[in-house]
Formats: sequence, C-alpha cells, structure tokens
Amino acid sequence: MTGLVWKDMLVSAKTAKSYGLIILFYFVLGFLGTFEVTFITAFVSVLLIMLPLSAFSYDEAAKWDGYAVSLPLGRRRVVAARYLFTLLIVLVSLAVATLFSAFIALQGQSFLEPLSSALGTLGFGLFVLDVLLPLCYKLGPERARPYLYAVIFVPIIALFVAFRMGLHLDLSWLDALAARSELLVFALLALLPLSGAVLMLPSYLLSCRILDGKEF
Amino acid sequence: MTNCIEIKGLCKSYQDFSLKNVDLTLPSGSILGLIGENGAGKTTTIKCILNLVRRDAGEITLLGHDNVREEQAAKEDVGVVLDECFFHDSLRPRDVSRVLAPVFPAWDEKLFRAYLEKFDLPEQKRIKEFSRGMKMKLSLSAALAHHPRLLILDEATAGLDPVVRDEILNEFLGFIQDEDHAILMSSHITSDLEKVADYIAYIHQGQVVLCDSKDNILEQYGRVGCTAAQLQGIAPDDLLRVRKGAFGCEALVSDRTAFRRKYPGLLAERTSLEDIMLFLGKGEET
Repeated sequence: MTGLVWKDMLVSAKTAKSYGLIILFYFVLGFLGTFEVTFITAFVSVLLIMLPLSAFSYDEAAKWDGYAVSLPLGRRRVVAARYLFTLLIVLVSLAVATLFSAFIALQGQSFLEPLSSALGTLGFGLFVLDVLLPLCYKLGPERARPYLYAVIFVPIIALFVAFRMGLHLDLSWLDALAARSELLVFALLALLPLSGAVLMLPSYLLSCRILDGKEF
Repeated sequence: MTNCIEIKGLCKSYQDFSLKNVDLTLPSGSILGLIGENGAGKTTTIKCILNLVRRDAGEITLLGHDNVREEQAAKEDVGVVLDECFFHDSLRPRDVSRVLAPVFPAWDEKLFRAYLEKFDLPEQKRIKEFSRGMKMKLSLSAALAHHPRLLILDEATAGLDPVVRDEILNEFLGFIQDEDHAILMSSHITSDLEKVADYIAYIHQGQVVLCDSKDNILEQYGRVGCTAAQLQGIAPDDLLRVRKGAFGCEALVSDRTAFRRKYPGLLAERTSLEDIMLFLGKGEET
C-alpha cells in the first residue's frame, strides 16, 4: 500500500511544486499587507486539497487502475492508499498553515486567527473530498468534476439565496465568542476537520464498495 | 510437473459477447500461447485470471491458489505485462522501483537495475520520452524484478519491431529455463508463438476450439491444396475446414500423415499456426 502512496506523491510532485510557488507568492503578498494572512492560510488548504482529485486524473491518463488491481494488494488497499494520501495532504496543509501562522505571530499578529481560518477551510475541503472521492471511483475524475463545483457552490448559492430572502445567518455569536476566547473559537473550528476525518471512514467504505463492483 | 494455471469451465457474459466453458492448463516449465481474432476472448480470459473482471462461472487457480478467494497469495509470484505501459509519463524507471518495491515482498532492486541495464533503459529519463519498445521493456523489467514464477502477458510484443521482439522473446526463453516457471502469452503474432510456445490454445468466438502442444499441432495438421473436383472425392469427415477460391480449393486436415496414406494423389503439406487460425476462423465446415 505504501508503494501506491509513493506513486501518488511522485506523480503529484510537479503540481505540488507549482502550488508551492503560488502559495509562497501569495504569502509574500500577505506579509506585505496586500492580502489578509487568514486568506492565505485558507488558500493553502484549498489548493492542496485538489491534489487527491488530480491524482485520479493522472491515474486515468495512465490507465493505472487496471494495473493496480492486477497487483497482489486487493482492491481495498488500492482505495486505502488514495485515502492515506489524502490524509497526508491534509497534514501537510495543516503543517504549512501552522508554519505561516507561527511566522506571522513572530511579527506580533495573532497565531490562532490564521490557523483557525485554515482549520475551517480544511474541514470544508475534507467534506468535499469525502463526497468527491467515491464519485471519482464511480464516475471517473472527468465526470465527477461537475459534482465538485456543485458541492462547493450549492451551499454558497443557498446562503446567497437565503440572504436575499431575508434569512440572515447570524454569526455574531462567533465574534462574541472570539472576543471572550480566541482559543474556544479555534477549538470549535478544529472540530470541522476532525469530523471531516471521521466521515472519511464511510466515504472509504463506499469507495471500496464501488471499486469492488468495477470491471477493468 | 505441477500446473501454474488451471482454468475449468470459465464463463463470462457481456451483452454482445460470451466466454463459454473455457478450460486451460499451463504446466510449469512451459509457455502457453493464446491466439485468436480481435474480440475472440483472449483478453477477457486474461482479465478473468487477474480478477480484473468477475467471472460468471468456473474456477481459476494460479500457482495452486484460487485467484479470487486467495487473490493476494495467487498474485504474489505473478508478473504481469499488458498491452500498454501503465506507468505514469512523469515517472522515471527508478520511481517505478520505489512504487513496486513495497508491493512485492520479493522485489529485487539489483535485479530491476540489471534489467534496466540489459535493456538499455536510462534510469533518470522520464517515461514520456520512452519509445513503445522501451516502455514494454520497462514493463517487462518491472514484471520480472520480484522473481515471479508465472508471467502473464497480453499482447506484450504487439507493435514492436522485430529486433525488440526477438530480444523480449529471448528473455522469455531464458525465464522458462527454470522448470518452476511458466508463461501465458496472448499474441496475434503467431510467428512469435511458433518460436517460443510449447502449447497453443486457439480461442474463437469465446470458445477454445484448439488446444494442444505446438509440436503436435505443427506435426499433425496439414494444408491440402486441390481442385473443386478433387475436393468432391474427399470424405467430409477427413477435412476440418475448407476454403474455396476462384483458382482452387484448400482444406485443413487434422492428421496429414493419415490423410496422405488415404489420399496418396493429394499433397498434404505442413502448415503454420496462422494458416490454422485462418482455416478455423474463416473456413467453411465440411
């Protein structure tokens, strides 16, 4: 299984490098005050979370899945490797966000605020992946792509429509909470990626079931 | 002698095609060549063996293990080369080793490098820069580097030039020197199989219509060239298939020595696998 995780890392390396340069560029801009640092830490998570989805496209281009299933691993391990790679990406995103936050903290700004923003985005990204990974196994990366936009934009559109209809989402309690304790907000936001990680289990089982029924 | 592959009553149905009761046996120390037209069922048979598609009925044993219930054990000593190279274009040969080493407990890094050297494959070059021949050699190196006992090859020599094909066929002959080893290879290039195969199975429209040792087939089968009038004088039971043309007739016989004895005036000459395939696939039944 580790061999397949290695494979995902190797084929994603070039994309990850270009993402790294983009992130660095935005971080410099953020450091110079052009962007909010909270935006940058959230941006890191969004970019890196795309890597597991790209891995499906690379595999499809190489027709890798049929070969992977012919190896002495079993289909479940093939799926497990992709989920393990996803978890690694999440950890890397978190590490990068922590590093940025620490750097910003050294300049006298809040450490927890940009990190909280990263946790929120990571949590959302994980929910997206929990839905998208089984869809990629079922439909392939190209046919699953519209669902990615749906998963991201449907909640945004729903919020917008609700706002236009006068249904205001009152988040002032978050500000009040942040004023009382930044740590409490951080802990609350940390629940998002944690629940996203917990939901990986049913998502993994669903992906296994889909791959079990697939013929190559 | 043990069997490396045993297939009994294999059935697999698609909407427009069915594999019907395929029985095949590959004894260790030998090469079994699978021939047949496009869409005859060769690749489906190999996919069933590798559990890439689910069989509807039948049993498949690889190196003594059921290929579904004991999939991991069954595949551990199997090397696979399919008709394409499945390694990502952005990878290099050394990356292939990094990926496959944890997959196969018996992965031999030195052996893999030795194959790369033998096949003149640069370790640092990206696969996207490789020719088709180089890609197939890389696939073969990867398939051989964990000391497999069984090689399964699906059209592995298709589209390669004669020099590369010869190089790869020699490698197969070297592999088979060990009596524990065996190779199952499907190919359209019947001349390749005439060079290396010990057994031939011909699949036609999802059924095995001929399965015997290559030597038996080439020694016994014969092609008779005759006129339409001469053809009339031959008992239909003595002929397997007939092809009638504007300039004469041709027939396939299953025992050319017996045929010569019975019809001394007619010439039954040695035939090739390609001719047998053409007769069985396209000839008229008598």
